[in-house]
Amino acid sequence: MYTQESTSAAASSLIDALPDKIDVFRCPICSAVTANYDSLRRHYDECHVAEIPPIMVTLRLNGRQTEVLAPPNWTLQRTLQFKLGLTGAKHMCDKGVCGSCTVIMDGRAVLACTTLVVECQGKDIQTVEGIAADAKWKPLVDAYCRWDAMQCGYCTPGFLVSAKALLDKNPNPTEEDCREALSGNICICGTYPRHSTAILEAALKIAEDNQAKGAQR
Amino acid sequence: MPDLVGANGQREDFRVVGKPNLPGKVSYALATGIAKFGIDYVVPNMLHAKFLRSPYANAKVLSVDTSKSLALPGVVDIVTWEDEDFQTFQKQSFYAAPPGPRRQWLDNYADQEGVEVAVIVVAEDEDICEEALRLLDVQWEVFPPVVNTLKGLDPDSPHARPRDEIYHGKDPFARLVDEPKKGNVTKALTVQGDVDKALKEAENIIEYKLMLPAFASQIPNPPASVAWWFNDPYATEPGPSLHIEGAVQRRELISALYKVPVENTVQEGIFQGGKYCDWGMRRSQEITPLLARRTGRPVRCANTREDTFDFLMNERFMYMKVGFTNEGLITAIDDYSIADGGIDGNASFGTANDHGYGPYYTMKCLNIRQYMEIVDTNRGKMYLSGQHCPFNWDSGTMAIYLIAEKLGKDPIDIAKLNLHGPDSQEDDRSVPSFDVCLEEGKKLMNWNWHASGMKKLPDGRYHGASFRYQICPRHAFTSYYTKLEYRFGKIVMPTQGPVTGIYAVECNAMVVAEELGIEYDDVIVEYNYKEVFTPVGGGSDGTTASAWVMKECAAKLKQQILEAAAYEAENPPPPAMKGPQLPPGPNPLKGYKAEELDLVGGYVVVKKDPSIRRLLEHAALQIIVATYAGRPPDALWSLGRGKMLDTMNTAYCEVAVDTETGEVEILRLGAVADPGKVLRPTSLESQIDQVMFFSQGCQLLEEMVWDERSGVRLNNNMIDYKKPTTLDVPHIDRKFLETRAGNAAYGASGISHSLANTHMVIIAIHNAIGVWVDPPATPDKVLKALGKI
Repeated sequence: MYTQESTSAAASSLIDALPDKIDVFRCPICSAVTANYDSLRRHYDECHVAEIPPIMVTLRLNGRQTEVLAPPNWTLQRTLQFKLGLTGAKHMCDKGVCGSCTVIMDGRAVLACTTLVVECQGKDIQTVEGIAADAKWKPLVDAYCRWDAMQCGYCTPGFLVSAKALLDKNPNPTEEDCREALSGNICICGTYPRHSTAILEAALKIAEDNQAKGAQR
Repeated sequence: MPDLVGANGQREDFRVVGKPNLPGKVSYALATGIAKFGIDYVVPNMLHAKFLRSPYANAKVLSVDTSKSLALPGVVDIVTWEDEDFQTFQKQSFYAAPPGPRRQWLDNYADQEGVEVAVIVVAEDEDICEEALRLLDVQWEVFPPVVNTLKGLDPDSPHARPRDEIYHGKDPFARLVDEPKKGNVTKALTVQGDVDKALKEAENIIEYKLMLPAFASQIPNPPASVAWWFNDPYATEPGPSLHIEGAVQRRELISALYKVPVENTVQEGIFQGGKYCDWGMRRSQEITPLLARRTGRPVRCANTREDTFDFLMNERFMYMKVGFTNEGLITAIDDYSIADGGIDGNASFGTANDHGYGPYYTMKCLNIRQYMEIVDTNRGKMYLSGQHCPFNWDSGTMAIYLIAEKLGKDPIDIAKLNLHGPDSQEDDRSVPSFDVCLEEGKKLMNWNWHASGMKKLPDGRYHGASFRYQICPRHAFTSYYTKLEYRFGKIVMPTQGPVTGIYAVECNAMVVAEELGIEYDDVIVEYNYKEVFTPVGGGSDGTTASAWVMKECAAKLKQQILEAAAYEAENPPPPAMKGPQLPPGPNPLKGYKAEELDLVGGYVVVKKDPSIRRLLEHAALQIIVATYAGRPPDALWSLGRGKMLDTMNTAYCEVAVDTETGEVEILRLGAVADPGKVLRPTSLESQIDQVMFFSQGCQLLEEMVWDERSGVRLNNNMIDYKKPTTLDVPHIDRKFLETRAGNAAYGASGISHSLANTHMVIIAIHNAIGVWVDPPATPDKVLKALGKI
């Protein structure tokens, strides 16, 4: 059964599994293991002169400091999927046009399929898994599920991330604001009107939750 | 009220069915990204595979030198079409394979630019695969491409399928003309009555053309799979076991392809993504087990989004001649069309077999001829549809509009005049469902018909409107095998999946909750690929027909639960290590028989005094299983029940056309639908939005473009191929009616994509400015039609 609790817990587990540090510096060409990143680079200089070594990137991913080794031509989406086990940022158009791979980087919604991982050094990145694992955003996920703001569901995480990025900046959006904020996300199943409905409902609930917390304090 | 056949009769009070905003059973997985689609799977030690994709639209690979590619570090395997593995490896069909020899799974012929051909490379990562493909030395023989359907009709045209005579199987659904195929053309013909005589005697005749555009695949997720072999010590059948992800729901086809016992084939993933009339699998979903067997490692193969523009709604040119009386009653329909048959392996449901389910199906007219020439092309794999496809109903929609224009009448009145009655083509009565849809539709849209070019808006733009109708079809393509398990107060509903976005399993769960007097959340859908039940068989069929079967199963289970409750009240079971703790005191149901009991609100209650009750989980401690197999009675389309009309839907469109700029704005779309009974309103609304938006897309925005000389696709990407966004889609007003006249659960019918269309907006544009613009009606085409450019 996929419930809010079970999926939130699954997202938390994926985040917990992110590597703080790289333990093994293995050469992707010959599988030789080196002591650290510098020695891996030296190994390239000595054994694979014509090749470009992988880059090491440190980023803050869903609140966790994470190190990753990836080829320098890899996008953030590819790195998230193949190196870090996060598949919420979906591979769809691979051209920066459909929004299915949307993540939030330093507070801005960006497209992980056209962002090179090398550009992410030191950045604060939130993926849909981070939103799912954060209880604060339960009302948004709940509203998406109550209103069927998805059909086949492939593009949905990208929409949800765009919606969260909107609410970060504008906690009281209008329907027009929602349409504008989601205009970079394409849903072939045509769920568009349902997203605005869900976001507006979530914004109200989040405001109520905040008010209740304020009253408790 | 046909649903009386069901075990539960025609229920009047609903507690769960029809309730909005119940989350889908997998919605949380989809929304949070936890759901894994085929392309998402990454497994340790995995290799990647890529096909050589043809740069030519019509070509043959003469030879390939793979030596440079094999020498590239990181390349693990290269397979070519000449490899022994491909000599006995044949594509598995979605439906029964046509007789005769079949094409090799991978051969050296390319019949579409970008198609998989001749070579597969397996390497440590996708970049190495790409590099290895670049290093191949391929010798091609290039043939002239056929990407213009009308030119392909010419007997002297180049052949789109050089080896066609060897492997071309007949479409099992089409009524083909029994004559040798000439050039690229196959013919199909269906005739009812005497069309020539009826045309000769007709008081009026209109002739018109429609161009149905080719528009692109509706698959959002690029198809992909990953597979590996393993030794399962617990396997019931001897031999290695296969694990594949990404071939969702097609475990049996994969096991047949690889001659592995289905019991030894594992396919756990349930998320299929969108597959709107795009059935079957891509090669990337079928090849990975072979490559994994050759390399001894897991192998992943994924299409790119560009690759996934290989499947299209077919282009079709329709030339119509319609005879009608001075009142507007259609007496003859001569429908000749030229359809793009695409490459080998098109999905060709009902090529010309449309009298059984199409726009003419609904009309009184008894003289109908449909003649189609299907032209093989190198444009892509086509959904080669007859009028049965909702898009193609617009040949009828357009006839009604043009007759109305000619006679100065409202097209709604012309439609009413031409629609036959509920029971047959000869039935002169009106269809109640149609009447109420029209009544509500007129109210919803403030319907006030005007002739073309007669209404100008205050801002100077021209106003146009249009209307169309369709049937909400009674489906039952297939039987369903349902199973329900009562377990300590909850109901477990095992299902194979897959999850396709139609919320079919949710409708089934709602029906179960309704029948068993429990909450929707207490119906636990357990996904297990080894189960048989799958609520799939076409969108409507999967939702409503399977729900009817599930209702019967729930009725059986209910009876068994009540019998168990009566038995256990007399024979209390001894304490068990597991299961609920029973409350102290006597069982209040003691002394009552099963027939005196009912299930209400999670309790077993005494019918005559519901205050005497026991919590369900305490009343029946047994684990109880019920099964039911079958399909709803009186399905029309698939069981040939004749031309009955029961549940209908209507759609409306208003546009504003700026004759200075050529811009078309959809002011409003309306849908009034009678699906018999609304099972799950939230997903029904969403289904209607979807078809309205992709209908809008193909009429205003979307168009696949080929270079005619090279046959190369010019816009197979999401930048150049324009899909509607949140800022493009108009407002849709919807209203649902419930006549309970369908054949599925509680009198529901399917609605599926029956509101999909290619000409509702186009007709509204004509109503605004009095000229025809072929879809997509982009501003330049509007201005050209107006003679301004």
